[in-house]
Amino acid sequence: MDSYIISEDLQLHQTEHSHDEEGNKMFGFIVFLLSESVIFLSFFAGYIVYKTTTPNWLPPGVEGLEVVAPAINTAVLVASSFVIYFAERALQRHNLWGFRLYLLATMAMGSYFLFGQAVEWNSLEFSLTSGAFGGMFYLLTGFHGLHVLTGILLQLIIFVRSFIPGNYDSGHFGVNATSLFWHFVDVIWIILFVLLYVWQ
Amino acid sequence: MKIQKLLKILTLITSAIALTTTSLWIGKQAYSWLPPEAAAESRLVDDLFSFLVTLGAFIFLGVTGTLMYSIIFHRAKKGEICDGPPIEGNVTLEVVWTAIPILLVFWIAGYSYQIYEQMGIQGPNHLMHLHMPMGMESAYAEPIEDKGTRRQGDKGNILDSFSASFEVASNSEPVEQIDVLAKQWAWVFHYPEKNVTSTELHLPSDRRVRLALQSEDVLHGFYVPAFRLKQDIVPNETINFEFTPIRSGKYRLTDSQYSGTYFATMQADVVVESPEDYHQWLAKAATHKPSPASNQAASEYAQVVNQSFPTGWATVAPAEPPVVNYPG
Amino acid sequence: MTNISIESIGIANEQSHHDIPDNWKRYFSFSTDHKVIGIQYLVTSFIFFLVGGIFAMVIRGELMTPESDLVDRTIYNGMFTMHGTVMLFLWTFPSLVGLANYLVPLMIGARDMAFPRLNAAAFWMVPVVGILLMASFFVPGGPAQAGWWSYPPVSLQNPTGNLINGQVIWLLAVAISGVSSIMGAVNFVTTIVKMRAPGMSFFRMPLFVWAVFSAQIIQLFGLPALTAGAVMLLLDLTVGTGFFDPANGGNPVMFQHYFWFYSHPAVYVIILPIFGIFSEIFPVYARKPLFGYKVVAVSSLLIAVVSAIVWVHHMYVSGTPGWMRMIFMLTTMLVSVPTGIKVFAWVATIWGGRMRLTTPMLFALGGLVLFVFAGIVGIMLSSVPVDVHVNNTYFVVGHFHYVLYGTVTMGMYAAIYHWFPKMTGRMYYEGLGKLHFWLAFIGTNLNFFPMHPLGLQGMLRRVASYAPDAGYEFWNIVASVGAFLLGMSTLPFILNMIGAWTIGEKAPDNPWQAIGLEWEVSSPPPVENFEEIPVVVSEPYGYGKSEPLTAKTH
Ligand code: HEA
Ligand code: HEA
Ligand code: CUA
Ligand SMILES: [Cu+2]
Repeated sequence: MDSYIISEDLQLHQTEHSHDEEGNKMFGFIVFLLSESVIFLSFFAGYIVYKTTTPNWLPPGVEGLEVVAPAINTAVLVASSFVIYFAERALQRHNLWGFRLYLLATMAMGSYFLFGQAVEWNSLEFSLTSGAFGGMFYLLTGFHGLHVLTGILLQLIIFVRSFIPGNYDSGHFGVNATSLFWHFVDVIWIILFVLLYVWQ
Repeated sequence: MKIQKLLKILTLITSAIALTTTSLWIGKQAYSWLPPEAAAESRLVDDLFSFLVTLGAFIFLGVTGTLMYSIIFHRAKKGEICDGPPIEGNVTLEVVWTAIPILLVFWIAGYSYQIYEQMGIQGPNHLMHLHMPMGMESAYAEPIEDKGTRRQGDKGNILDSFSASFEVASNSEPVEQIDVLAKQWAWVFHYPEKNVTSTELHLPSDRRVRLALQSEDVLHGFYVPAFRLKQDIVPNETINFEFTPIRSGKYRLTDSQYSGTYFATMQADVVVESPEDYHQWLAKAATHKPSPASNQAASEYAQVVNQSFPTGWATVAPAEPPVVNYPG
Repeated sequence: MTNISIESIGIANEQSHHDIPDNWKRYFSFSTDHKVIGIQYLVTSFIFFLVGGIFAMVIRGELMTPESDLVDRTIYNGMFTMHGTVMLFLWTFPSLVGLANYLVPLMIGARDMAFPRLNAAAFWMVPVVGILLMASFFVPGGPAQAGWWSYPPVSLQNPTGNLINGQVIWLLAVAISGVSSIMGAVNFVTTIVKMRAPGMSFFRMPLFVWAVFSAQIIQLFGLPALTAGAVMLLLDLTVGTGFFDPANGGNPVMFQHYFWFYSHPAVYVIILPIFGIFSEIFPVYARKPLFGYKVVAVSSLLIAVVSAIVWVHHMYVSGTPGWMRMIFMLTTMLVSVPTGIKVFAWVATIWGGRMRLTTPMLFALGGLVLFVFAGIVGIMLSSVPVDVHVNNTYFVVGHFHYVLYGTVTMGMYAAIYHWFPKMTGRMYYEGLGKLHFWLAFIGTNLNFFPMHPLGLQGMLRRVASYAPDAGYEFWNIVASVGAFLLGMSTLPFILNMIGAWTIGEKAPDNPWQAIGLEWEVSSPPPVENFEEIPVVVSEPYGYGKSEPLTAKTH
């Protein structure tokens, strides 16, 4: 029990803080995403039950949903998942400008997706309050849209932070997490697209 | 040594026998904790309940008895600080106490399933748009004198019900159809046969009755404790509900699914009478001019509205008292 | 005011590095120390326990007589809604999270939780939830009155027409509580998986940690479903969507599925840590290793898994088709298998031990007995024909108070007494503790046993009045008297806690001669818990084996 022990303890402590914390954060983030996915699963399950049990599923006057424009939107979003992967790769190779450019491209694609969604919402002749169908449609696309928006904001943050000198000294957790989140948003959309547009 | 072992086994056997008889006795008492058996279904439920009480008492007394024994005889003396024997487990024992509950569970579930089938509660299968031919057979009105023997509640009874479960008689009696409308906070009964309405439910005994349950506003529940039957009523759905009253008398129907401020007042009388009396009543009621029934929710609400100083919070206003041929 | 017992252990050096700010102010500040947060949780939730208990006193007062005479019906409805909500969301969840917060890092040999700031943020949401719920008493129309289930369409009826009403506030509060719980769950799971001390393999973790781990996994998969349902209900309530509102093409039964998909598993979130407490306490006071440690550990996870597939047993009569009733009957009954394994293991642990009946042991034993009773009643409920009769009657209310008070609250008391010397560095008064136990044990039975015959006779829950001729009066009076006794039983407890914490005798590091990492540090533990992260070399509960738990490195 002397000062030697304490300084050793301190050192141990510091390495613990810097190293494990990255791993912990990523682990925690994955746990969180798994939990978050259950919200979507719950909505999906609800959608399936409503669709199969509601007597008058589509509101009066509504024939179905237009598929072509959302399909293009889908393609853009899926593609952006690859782009952000390139961004991550660039960062790993310490190619900062490559990273930033790919990141900007991702953000642009995400924004295009949101824009496309807004256009679609505007053209629809049913609303949030048009029975279970209207509610479900806007709930699913809206809740997913919020996630896309969050993803873009996260990308904006890591973009800005990439200009801070020494930002990556303690690891790339922020970038990896943002990227993972983006893939998550992407996968959710694919399921959503199948449920809402393909299965009519 | 040998004698000690023998003694141990003897005590074990004695306590097992004591445990079994006590549990059987408690199980028999279970019938008296329940309201009168006014429907064929009630009797089935009571048998099942008595069985569960017997088994439950056995498990509860077994576990707590063992605990009590330890508490009394395995106490550390004052100031003693040594540890007990470091036993960490015993595979045989652990396997046994995993296997026994599994078997018990299948026994309980199997028995419950059979009772359920016999009751033939016509659950609202259509609700989920998935039709399964389960629980469609009817309970039948047994002759009353059967009751005495059933109540003996000996062990054979439990086992008997296993084999006896498929002796379901096909009930060829006509089905009496009645519409039930629930709203905040009143019951209205409609008898299509004579186009009569009432706020007191009349039912013929020893007849299969089919109720069409409907709600005007929120969830309600149809519950007659003496029938042991309950079914939630869902707005926008018609739920068919079948059972067989077997005992004449006056019972109480209550709303069993919380339905807002005056939930507790949503009660009605149920009169079970012989088919002759029932038809007589129907014919008589058909001659009555519809008049407003008394309604506790409405009258309490009127009082509250007239209060100068509010003693509660805002509430949904009750529906107008129903106007019926027979206001009870 | 109180000073740490420097003489008890040579931590003078450590003190100069991280001194222990042992003053009461830190409990009111934004601390990131898991021990401070743990106690903050415990104290906050206990205050809400008293609030919920006072609501219960109003309920029992009203039910003394058949007529609705003590309070207006709307007030009665608000009372049971808020009683259930407060007791579950502000007492059981936060108190158990608090205990776990305090114990888990200590038990696994970590210096803190994985995310200390997230931890603090999660805690500070709890008072926000409480304040919101209490504030809802003062909005026009009063607090939510649709029961703690908030089933639509009743919960969608908004007699005042205001956008800000009790039900909306209720939904917001529950949502915030959910966010807090998810934050906590992510933190616990990460801490347990990633922060264990060297040598602390999964099968060397104390069972309390196993139980918390299992319970938090339930939170992670269950809460999102409730959140989904709550969002949809909120939309129905505020913007008029048609998810659950039959008037707009919705299906009210769907809400019940969302609600119970979480709220059934939630009861195991509550009970699992209590099982963990039992597993910790019995070996200590019976002086024997826990019987069948590994099987008991795994059965926690099994319970968590099975809990996800039984929720429909709350909806047997909700318009559920027969096949669904039968499937969920079987799955529900299967829960008794892993639960039974635990019960038998505890009994076997106690069997042949050298039992010491201290206050924590009494509470644990009492809790166990009441649990077996409640569980057996639960099995009766799970049998569809029986449940059809007793659903929504006091039989159910009796069942769940035997678990929620008899097991959970008693178990919580056991834990508080057991770890009180560790948390505060003081000893509680044994005599007051025993008085508390006997009052609580007798009170619980007087209060909640009568609910079973009442329910069998057909007395419904959530009624402010009942038929005077139905013969319900006798048992209701007994229950009310029991309830008041139970209310009084908290007084010796409060007295004991406050008295012992301020002027109690100083506690040694390990007053119970217990085996566990938390007992190897000082009482109260230093800020960083361990001067040096211990190296674990054996399974827990090595009573009677005289083998060391940790390697001595110095
Ligand atoms: C911590 C809380 C907790 C716990 C642990 C439990 C445990 C159980 N509960 Fe309970 N329950 C609630 C809290 C809890 N419950 C609440 C709050 C409600 C009502 C909510 C509301 O409506 O507001 C409720 C309602 C409720 C219902 C719905 C009733 C209704 O509304 O109509 C049912 C039905 O199946 C049920 C069943 C069970 C079962 C089978 C168990 C099992 O887990 C019990 C298992 C334990 C044992 C069986 C004892 C020990 C085992 C042995 C000794 C082995 C041998 C035994 C056998 C083989 C039988 N519970
Ligand atoms: C952990 C959960 C928990 C706990 C501990 C309790 C504790 C109690 N509950 Fe609980 N109860 C629920 C959870 C719980 N309940 C739930 C979920 C419901 C369902 C709600 C619904 O239907 O929606 C319910 C419903 C419910 C009902 C049914 C109401 C109805 O359906 O109409 C009743 C009726 O008797 C009741 C009674 C009691 C009593 C008497 C206690 C007693 O144990 C309380 C003891 C009292 C105290 C501990 C307080 C002591 C305080 C004082 C005496 C004042 C001192 C003050 C200071 C020092 C400041 N409860
Ligand atoms: Cu040691 Cu921080
Ligand atoms: Cu449940």
